[in-house]
Amino acid sequence: MTGLTDQEYMRYSAHLLLEDVGEKGQLALRNAKVVIVGVGGLGAPVALYLAAAGVGHLYLVDDDHVELSNLQRQIIFTQHQIKQTKVDSAKASLTQLNPHVEVTTFAQRLTLEKADNELANMLTQVDLVIDCTDNMPTRQVINKICVTQKIPLIVGAGIRMEGQLISFNAKQADSACYHCLYPFDETAEVHNCSTSGVLGPLVGVIGSLQALEAIKHLTGMPVSSFNRLMRFDGKTLQWQHLSVAKDPQCSVCSSNV
Amino acid sequence: MKLIINDEINNLTVTTITSLLSVLEQPGKGIAVAVNQAIITRQKWDDFQLSENDQVTLFQAIAGG
Ligand SMILES: [Zn+2]
Repeated sequence: MTGLTDQEYMRYSAHLLLEDVGEKGQLALRNAKVVIVGVGGLGAPVALYLAAAGVGHLYLVDDDHVELSNLQRQIIFTQHQIKQTKVDSAKASLTQLNPHVEVTTFAQRLTLEKADNELANMLTQVDLVIDCTDNMPTRQVINKICVTQKIPLIVGAGIRMEGQLISFNAKQADSACYHCLYPFDETAEVHNCSTSGVLGPLVGVIGSLQALEAIKHLTGMPVSSFNRLMRFDGKTLQWQHLSVAKDPQCSVCSSNV
Repeated sequence: MKLIINDEINNLTVTTITSLLSVLEQPGKGIAVAVNQAIITRQKWDDFQLSENDQVTLFQAIAGG
């Protein structure tokens, strides 16, 4: 592994000043492969911060196109990108922000059926998955893949003025999984940001924390949201921490030891 | 029994989480429950015995992003 270039020393000088990151941490970021599933209100800050931080290879998965109503919160897109695919638009922004970062795009929905394709293949060789999707069925699919492949997973969600953050690490035997927490595909109503509304900075807060947890994980710092659901109330700015234990009867992770 | 549900004091005649949800007329759809800041998985709702002064958190799963 080669050391940092002069350009990299300058670009990441704020990281290098941190004892917890330093050159070792920066090289770990450069070598990291991170998947972001969903490039929306959460995925936008996650992708921007991770690209800015110098994560070496980002994989973006989203089957949507940029719409005018996305621009209220999905700050990675611009007006002239309307109707283009989200992954290509995001890639353009990220490459402009940091040309050192490699970005691979998948303009498709993540399902379990496409088990033999490029996307599934990619998922066997990544370091971290970040769940930024907008629906429960896809969240369950991501969780299943991460448990099976033993990939650490950072989950964020936001709606109206409420946010949730939790991380799992299937490499560890005591890790819970998303299905231990929410063993169902339904939400009480049709909860997504287009139907229920959301404030842009609310998903910005949760997405920024997903990026923070990702950088901590990749540089070897302890991840505070591991097995811990953090609920954020955007109205009062109050946080609630709830512990989540592995469910020995969980149909997804109970056989993962 | 005195329970603190989402920061409000309630006096309810309940035993398990399932009985609590039934008294509160919560259908349970998309709902998660924590007692004293620890999530109680759904499979335990029928058996989990609530105790005096337990802090119960009822909230919805959210999937938006
Ligand atoms: Zn599980």
